[in-house]
Amino acid sequence: MSEFKVKAGLAQMLKGGVIMDVVNAEQAVIAERAGACAVMALERIPADMRKSGQVCRMSDPKMVREIMAAVSIPVMAKVRIGHTVEAQILQALQIDYIDESEVLTPADKQNHIRKSEFTVPYVCGAKNLGEALRRISEGAAMIRTKGEAGTGDVSEAVKHITQIRAEIAWAKENLRTAEELEAHAKELRVPVELLKDVLSRGKLPVVNFAAGGVATPADAALLMQLGCDGVFVGSGIFKSSNPDKLARAIVQATTHYEDPMKLLEVSTDLGDLMAGVSIDSINKGNGIRLSEVGW
Amino acid sequence: MSRVKSSIASYETKCVTSDANNIAHNGKSRTVGVLALQGAFAEHVEYLEACIAQHGYPVHVMPVRTAAQLERCDALVIPGGESTAMTQIASRMGLHEALARFVQDPRRSVWGTCAGLILLAREAADAAPAAAPQRPAALVEPLKALEVAVRRNAFGRQAQSFVATCDFSAFLGPSETQGFPAVFIRAPVIDHVIDPERVEVLHRLAGADGAPGTGPIVAVRQGRILGTSFHPELADDTRFHDWFLRDFVLGDHK
Repeated sequence: MSEFKVKAGLAQMLKGGVIMDVVNAEQAVIAERAGACAVMALERIPADMRKSGQVCRMSDPKMVREIMAAVSIPVMAKVRIGHTVEAQILQALQIDYIDESEVLTPADKQNHIRKSEFTVPYVCGAKNLGEALRRISEGAAMIRTKGEAGTGDVSEAVKHITQIRAEIAWAKENLRTAEELEAHAKELRVPVELLKDVLSRGKLPVVNFAAGGVATPADAALLMQLGCDGVFVGSGIFKSSNPDKLARAIVQATTHYEDPMKLLEVSTDLGDLMAGVSIDSINKGNGIRLSEVGW
Repeated sequence: MSRVKSSIASYETKCVTSDANNIAHNGKSRTVGVLALQGAFAEHVEYLEACIAQHGYPVHVMPVRTAAQLERCDALVIPGGESTAMTQIASRMGLHEALARFVQDPRRSVWGTCAGLILLAREAADAAPAAAPQRPAALVEPLKALEVAVRRNAFGRQAQSFVATCDFSAFLGPSETQGFPAVFIRAPVIDHVIDPERVEVLHRLAGADGAPGTGPIVAVRQGRILGTSFHPELADDTRFHDWFLRDFVLGDHK
């Protein structure tokens, strides 16, 4: 129990902050200087993975280690869904958090990693309540929306946080008897105790960040207003013409998400933003929706 | 602890809505701000509110994001989070100077936990000198109020985070449960006290040989200023917050 407190506790310290994708030590330093509360070390940002059409794996520990040495903030890195050994390697590297991520090519199409067997904490993506609770019951100490990584289109992240909140509200309103709770937990494939815990809190029992498609300060503030605890920004920052300025602006917007005057100030004159790919333009013929990866 | 576990969102809403009514508080009531730039500020608000509700203290709690909000406070809690992020966010909006004035003001009490302790210190250094040459200096700009030198990430990375059961009864007072679960997350320690005449060491961890009270300094007090390396706001135990309210906010340590 105290071990889970330490895992979930680090996520609590990240709240109200921005976690930025970085591909080298130089970008990590820019992120830290901009006020990022953590960085996600990866070889290619999702926008480039999306274009590549190749198998995407855990990053080379050499670059992850360089990033860990370059900054004093926590460093996260991604492993493929179900790839227990990639996770063992990152734990041996003493990474601060592992993201078992749908952005990489899944290694196991049936099972996610049994995360409670690790001492390193995990964050996982979710697009609805059932997915979030399955990941938590496997041992995830932090949840993020899946969104649609590498697009610059925020609509999927909005959909996922709204969906999770709506499902909690619905269950609070409609599940009255022990039988109804049991049946719903079974439908979600989660322990009934976990469902009860969520309903008594009215929210997930772990920190819940926004991720997937965040490209502007306004996007970050929108997701904070919708109830996210903080924001992951992937491709958006380093695909823009002025990453340093945009990174700072997204950090300020995440703190002052309820202050339109401050949002006006930080949204002004940011240069060219990530052009992006709209969700509706991605169909089975020309690519995959990453949010549909995972189960 | 059911109150502590209830919704953070509702507490925040309550704080914001009741804010306007409390600007002109009478002489006896106190306003405690919780710095809400980044980090675990909602937890502090929640624990303080739980103590206030339980004991009926004439205290109002509010999240602080601007200099104007800070000006309304009699006391301030600086939460855990990332001290680099908090420094950058505060500096960009001119809040850093306001914070420095606030924490130096002898009429105001202050408590920093983890990153908050780093920010309150006279000196703050990284545990390991940064390996990368491109790393700029002074990402953390301490407020120089608490006469100690702090070492960031002193135990190491997240892999070295831990919970230690500590006996704080010497200052928290006796209680049925003696042990307090002190949660250390990528925690700093107080490397040394700069001014031993002013700074009282409240707690040291056990030393490497297990001898109690011979290890790193993790809690100090300098009159109206409290600094802890660990996170009482994660303890599921409100005794530390209750002590801060009684002894620092409502007490006579001005």
